[in-house]
Amino acid sequence: MAQNLHEFLLRLKALFLKRRLESDMADELAFHQAMLQNKLVRQGLAQAEAEAQTRRTFGDPSRWHERLRELWQFRTLENLGRDVSFSVRVLRKSPGFTFVALLTLALGVGANTTVFSMINALLLRPLDVPDSNRLAVIGIDMGRPRINYSFPAPLFRGLENRREVFSQIFAYDHREFQVRGASGTEAVTGQLVSGDFFNALEMPPLLGRTLTAADDQKGGNPSGFGVVISEGFWQRWFNRAPNVIGQRLKIDNALFTVVGVMPKRFIGADPLQRPEIFAPLAVEPVLDGSRNMTDAGMHAWWLTVMGRMQPEVTLEQANAQVAASTKAVTHSLAANPEDLAQFERRLHHFTAENGSAGFTYLRMLFSKPLAAVFAMCGGILLLACMNLASLLMARGAARQPELATRLALGATRRRLVQQLMVESLLIALMGTAAGLAVSPLVSKSLSTMLLGGEGETHVDTSLDIRVFAFAALASIVAALLVGLIPALQATSGSLNERIKSGQHTTQAHERRRILPKAMMAGEVALALMLVVGAGLLASSLVRLYLSGSGFDPKGLDNISFSLDKQPLKGEAAVEFYRQLEDGLRRQPGVTGVSFAKIIPFTHRMWDEDLSAGAGKSQDTYHNRVGPDYFKTMRIPLLAGRDFAWSDTTATGLKMILNETAVKGLFPDGNPLGQFVREHDGNTTTQYQVVGVVGDAKYEDLRSPAPPTAYLPMSQDDGGMGPSYNAVVRTSGPAGPLADAARALAQGMEPEIPAPLLTSMNATVDESLSAERTMALLAVFFAACALIVTAVGLYGTLAYATSRRTNEIGIRMALGARRAQVVAMVFLQNAGVALAGTTLGLIAALLASRLLASFLYGTSARDPWVFAGSILALALIASAASLLPALRSARINPMSAIRCD
Amino acid sequence: MGQMADSGELIQGTLEMLILKALLRGPLHGYSVAEWIQQTSQQMLKVEEGALYPALHRMELRGLLESRWGTSDNNRRAKFYELTTEGHKKLDAEAQRWARLSSAVAFVMQAS
Repeated sequence: MAQNLHEFLLRLKALFLKRRLESDMADELAFHQAMLQNKLVRQGLAQAEAEAQTRRTFGDPSRWHERLRELWQFRTLENLGRDVSFSVRVLRKSPGFTFVALLTLALGVGANTTVFSMINALLLRPLDVPDSNRLAVIGIDMGRPRINYSFPAPLFRGLENRREVFSQIFAYDHREFQVRGASGTEAVTGQLVSGDFFNALEMPPLLGRTLTAADDQKGGNPSGFGVVISEGFWQRWFNRAPNVIGQRLKIDNALFTVVGVMPKRFIGADPLQRPEIFAPLAVEPVLDGSRNMTDAGMHAWWLTVMGRMQPEVTLEQANAQVAASTKAVTHSLAANPEDLAQFERRLHHFTAENGSAGFTYLRMLFSKPLAAVFAMCGGILLLACMNLASLLMARGAARQPELATRLALGATRRRLVQQLMVESLLIALMGTAAGLAVSPLVSKSLSTMLLGGEGETHVDTSLDIRVFAFAALASIVAALLVGLIPALQATSGSLNERIKSGQHTTQAHERRRILPKAMMAGEVALALMLVVGAGLLASSLVRLYLSGSGFDPKGLDNISFSLDKQPLKGEAAVEFYRQLEDGLRRQPGVTGVSFAKIIPFTHRMWDEDLSAGAGKSQDTYHNRVGPDYFKTMRIPLLAGRDFAWSDTTATGLKMILNETAVKGLFPDGNPLGQFVREHDGNTTTQYQVVGVVGDAKYEDLRSPAPPTAYLPMSQDDGGMGPSYNAVVRTSGPAGPLADAARALAQGMEPEIPAPLLTSMNATVDESLSAERTMALLAVFFAACALIVTAVGLYGTLAYATSRRTNEIGIRMALGARRAQVVAMVFLQNAGVALAGTTLGLIAALLASRLLASFLYGTSARDPWVFAGSILALALIASAASLLPALRSARINPMSAIRCD
Repeated sequence: MGQMADSGELIQGTLEMLILKALLRGPLHGYSVAEWIQQTSQQMLKVEEGALYPALHRMELRGLLESRWGTSDNNRRAKFYELTTEGHKKLDAEAQRWARLSSAVAFVMQAS
């Protein structure tokens, strides 16, 4: 230690007294030489002779100085500085190369960091609450491939107080609250939370208190309904008034008292939500009235359930314990043996899994697409690194004369390698830095693209320690992959030889070298895989769009009316919609108007068990629609008649079935005029079939049209609330329609919130947002891969060919025709491309299966996609190889031979 | 590296030991160090300048030697090296090591 310090201080001194050190060194050596000369003269040599001999033994003084100087320097540091400035000069001299290198790396690192930051936001980042690793998400294994994470209220209440392994078990659900203020009603996002929600998340309030089990009672706490608000809402609504506790808020027509304010960093247990109001779960019936989820009991699956494990309890123990408690919970819930049998058939057991990152249902939807996109990004980064490495290698070969000169001027081999390394590292660092710089921007647009169809979500893709660590890792891997190449070149053992021997003799050697070729072949293989992946995803998307929905989304708009908070019910609501229809029909460009309870592809569904005659009961999707619905949607009416406003409850319940439903319910017979029974628990309702319509898809474009039954809205029993969506077909732009609908609705009922207008095309697009984003990204990455590969193939061949100018000149002088030369150069790359394609084809065949679950109507081994991808790659490779080949044919043999 | 007259190489680290030994009698400049080793070894060990000066500088950096500029016998400015306490310690250690090593080698070579 003391020795190191001594050394360090002396070196530091040398650093500041550099000139002094140099002259001292020169003096010391000169003194030695003088003494040696004296001695030789004393021994009888002539002065001149003595001088010559001294010079011989001493050799080149500059080498001496260099060696001694190195001893005194902070060698690595000073050399590094020199190498960096030299490398910057070299890179500046070839801006094209530098630009391509930086761009490819920036793309690779940027894309990876972007996707990783999304994965981080969605899957990895722990909730910002104390001991988030003690949280668990509770689900239900229902014997389906996926665990179910939605609970009906009774099931949660049955579980809530089982504290064998959990300190608390809590539930929450998102909802939008209509908060009445001085300037009108505002929609505020919030959550309904159970009594232990805040206790379990262990976040102290900023002001007041949190909600507790005492608030989570049907009538609220003894002094009314308590509500907790966020810091943001406190600021916006109360202007941070300190006396906010105890203030009243009118939410959804009920009066609440503010009991607490939560700090800004508290976002609940869903990482993608930013709730502003937390209301007790038990108050839900008050807010939702007759059609509430709580009283729907086991029919409404809506709650997310989580728990905080007791200290010392492991996740495995928790999982085993909740599974074991399933029976007890279902027993306590079942009112009769039939219910119990049904529960036991459906609910296999509860599960507990890690909930440290909270829970979002988007995780299930997007973890697989994100993983696929991540894999593609990884491919691009690898490709970028390999491409850079092969370009650097080719450049290294082309720079041999320069290296030879520097070696001849006294540079050691180590110093040369070091400098080459610094050059690669510089590229790697700058490229990754550029990638990191753009990544936050890109991740913002990517998350909007990917999650665009999912309503209001907040994907927090900001840099945190994990993203930073990942980015650092990606950069280091990239730098190593890229920087490895000069090292490999140097350790090939013959750098000295090759530099000494110059251009001619190295060529046999060069052609034998396998590494650059393997690298290029690998690049081609990777590019092919990416292109195949993109091709599969894109053709799947096209097939999805072409598969058709059963209706014509073009020129169709939906206007959703929210009447849930209005006193309009039954006949009055029907009358309201009739007038609305008349009003909308009178708008310019409108060619058809109708209504539907559920708009296709909006993640809503309603199903009931139907049976006909002696047939088995069948699960059938339902929708309630107005007259002219099928005409407006352009769903063909195959038999019978459409609904009319005159189909009232008094004329008997009517129903229209789609083809698939008819096939299931009436396998052999005309359904028209027949009766269909609907079973719900112990009640049976009869409907008369009045029409048959074509199949239309319901939940999404991927699934085939389910058996569907349509009921007339004029016979609405009000069971699902009075809100309907208008479907309007127009022949012009839909712009003025939104305003017209708003004016119409408010003219009739001033309290109705402004209706929302969306085009059916946008709804279809949004329902495919994950597929579209994946296909789009895949195509983008594939295009990048093709460009990068083309640059790589072109670059390496161009370098190699430029080094063979001399040889080609001789060939041509000896009578080789230009076409032969072109073919010779061209075929150099053909071998590489062929090997790469074969490799890539095998790898793609193996890997494409991973994509199978994303594909619609497309085999993971679709021959057309594979053939097309190979063709695309062949074209790119040919184009990249043809340019240097053609250029080589323009070599003038005489000047080529003379130049060396 | 230093060289023996019959072109055998000096064992690694031996040159440093010889330099330390040379300086035991008092400060010397580089030329005298080389001369002293050559003479004392009866011309058997010839220390090459290319090895001597890097070794001297390295030892100075490591604190085994100290240097100062003085005037030589023939009135020229010369750099004199002398042992530090560290250097003395190092010399003792090296001398012991060398004695053990050479006797061990001798044993082996005398074995029949």
